[in-house]
Amino acid sequence: MKTKVEDINRNIYDIKNKDEYEFKIEKGLNKKIVEEISKQKNDPDWMREIRLKALETYNKLELPTWGPDLSELKMDNIATYVKPKTELNSSWEDVPEDIKNTFDKLGIPEAEKKSLAGVGAQYDSEVVYHSMKKELLEQGVIYTDMETAVREYPEIVKEHFMKCVPVNDHKFVALHAAVWSGGSFVYVPKGVKLDIPLQSYFRLNSPESGQFEHTLIIVDEGASLHFIEGCSAPKYNKVNLHAGCVELYVKDNAYLRYSTIENWSKNMMNLNTKKAIVGKNAQIDWVTGSFGSKVSMLYPMSILNGENAKTEYTGITFAGKNQNLDTGFKVVHNAKNTSSLVNSKSISKDGGACTYRALVRIGENAQNSKCSVSCESLMLDDISRSDTIPVNDIRTDEVTFSHEAKIGKISDKEIFYLMSRGLSEEDAKAMIVRGFAYPISKELPVEYAVEMNNLINLELEGSIG
Amino acid sequence: MEIKVNETPIRTSRNFLINNLKLENIELPKKLKSFENVEISELKTKKPSTKKLKYGNGKILEESIFENANSALKIETQNEDIKIKYNFDNENLELVNNIEIIGKENANIYIEYISKTNKPCFHNGLIRTVAKENCKLNIVIINKLNNKTNNFEAIENELHEKSKVNYTIIDIGGKTSVTNYYSNIIGEEANNDLKTIYLGQNNEIKDLNYIAEVRGKKSEIDIDVQGVLDGNCKKNFKGTIDFKKGCKKAKGNENEFCLLLSDKARSIALPMLLCTEEEVEGNHSTASGKVDSKTLFYIMSRGLSYKEAVKLIVKSKFNKIIERIANEEIKEEVLQEIERKLS
Repeated sequence: MKTKVEDINRNIYDIKNKDEYEFKIEKGLNKKIVEEISKQKNDPDWMREIRLKALETYNKLELPTWGPDLSELKMDNIATYVKPKTELNSSWEDVPEDIKNTFDKLGIPEAEKKSLAGVGAQYDSEVVYHSMKKELLEQGVIYTDMETAVREYPEIVKEHFMKCVPVNDHKFVALHAAVWSGGSFVYVPKGVKLDIPLQSYFRLNSPESGQFEHTLIIVDEGASLHFIEGCSAPKYNKVNLHAGCVELYVKDNAYLRYSTIENWSKNMMNLNTKKAIVGKNAQIDWVTGSFGSKVSMLYPMSILNGENAKTEYTGITFAGKNQNLDTGFKVVHNAKNTSSLVNSKSISKDGGACTYRALVRIGENAQNSKCSVSCESLMLDDISRSDTIPVNDIRTDEVTFSHEAKIGKISDKEIFYLMSRGLSEEDAKAMIVRGFAYPISKELPVEYAVEMNNLINLELEGSIG
Repeated sequence: MEIKVNETPIRTSRNFLINNLKLENIELPKKLKSFENVEISELKTKKPSTKKLKYGNGKILEESIFENANSALKIETQNEDIKIKYNFDNENLELVNNIEIIGKENANIYIEYISKTNKPCFHNGLIRTVAKENCKLNIVIINKLNNKTNNFEAIENELHEKSKVNYTIIDIGGKTSVTNYYSNIIGEEANNDLKTIYLGQNNEIKDLNYIAEVRGKKSEIDIDVQGVLDGNCKKNFKGTIDFKKGCKKAKGNENEFCLLLSDKARSIALPMLLCTEEEVEGNHSTASGKVDSKTLFYIMSRGLSYKEAVKLIVKSKFNKIIERIANEEIKEEVLQEIERKLS
């Protein structure tokens, strides 16, 4: 008998609304399509130029020669822009019934009332709801959709858009820059500290389409923010694509915590890019849970440019049947006394494949820097796969660097010990798996910790060996 | 010519600069004369295999071995020590060698590459080992080539049931030193223990690509690499333990520690664990850093100079691996060479 871990009940996420839209661009990718998206979005000239140059870059760049197989992704079958039948609203009452119902079931309006300082909700290619507490507005905090930011804060956007993540970073970044739509813009002024988080939720309903939201966050000097993003989609038989881009600027003495729960449906190619530039004495913490999608390639990156800058990455990846989740973390130490702490866990089951792929680069100028990496992988059966591929590039001698990884199954000794204390075998195993995931789940926002506990709410049957 | 060597078994992002090593201006010897200055304790040798390698150092170097080797040996072990010493001198500057070891009986095997000239030398070699059932082999490879020499070594092992192969690699020479090590651990309870020391100085390049495919039940692989980098030396360590389906109760450990003696030295490590079998234990760890200041302070407080203290620390790091060399004369020569290089 084998340990059996059930999949998460996806009923909530798999609610499909009728594929209704105000405008859906033809499938494929070419100059005409990019120009049409730009026209639909009333882009200023400078943004249209960025899109068209990015398309040229996209056409020049090759697909990655490493990582999961992306051959099922055919851009000719993907509609890159789907405008829902509504404008941007600041009241849930104004959001069309079917869309509002979807977010209701996902618990977004409820969470907003209970524990959030602001919420953005994107449906297909556009943000349909955005709201923030009045007190934050009075403190000068800006939290809006990206389109409004392009219109109302063009100088800030021009200075930061696709600068942290350059367009030629890789093919899907270039694609993103050419067809991006939606996403959130956050500016936290100097010294303003937000006690409760902001949250953006991204929902893709339309089949054979892509979501390319852009998130740009600037946490100014001495400010602090906790930003949460969630994402989901119903399952279709054909491939959907998510190629978002997150650019984070954490200025001197600032703090940003960026939490993500990714729960895309299992027909999704999730090829997302996230980067943060971190200033002097500043800190960025990433908390990431990757559960959904058919294929994921996601490696958040911290660039520690300021002295004493810090970063922590806490991530869990859970791959089940037909899933290939290639995730990890990249950190570049570019200044003295910088430090990074990485804690990654993965669980593979039912033929799923997890890969931890990472880079630690400690540059010539990063004397007295410290980095500690720990990654653990749990295999729940012998038809799954678990790989660890970390690159550690050390370019100065004044460093303390360590990396540890382990891979294995649930320990028979641990089960035996717990059973000797009176637990049943099933309870013992459940406790071990929960304990394995606990260092990550305790870092998640409460509502997402519940979501993750549902996921690892194990129904264990049988026994090992 | 430009050659690419030491491809990793699984590629990762090109930006990570680790998938392979590109070398420019490598001149392969065109017409090789027989390598005369070689001391071999074993006289009964046969023609070695020319079967294609699973990994190796790339097509160009591999074909050169199979077509042009100026030293080719096949040895069957018979409970006796085997010593092979290649002495590079002004008359013997280029060596392309193919060595096949069939491990039938337990044996200690020593293979040394030594420069007795200051001229640039070239070495491109293959050591292929088959360890038959219950056979225990201790193999020691010593690279003491001069710092103008390009050194390429491909190693391929096949381990059968209950065999044990202890490999010790002393990589302390060469301008560019590239080692590709592949172990196919087929047999149940087979055990492969690989220990390496490397010492890189000046503008030298060290590229180590170690791959172990674990197939046998209850088999084990243990990789321990201790290195020191000084000057502008660049080192890539790529270590892969690949647990194949069916290798139940197998264990794999991989550890690399790189001591940095210069702020210009560069150390890249890619310790990979690949796994398609549930019932295994795999661990890896890598670490880098400079000499511990407290240790240094303590030793210097006993009257040693900074240089002497560093030398002592380096030697102590290497010592547990050098101790594996059973032959006292060879061990002493290795210690002397390390002493010379650090002075």
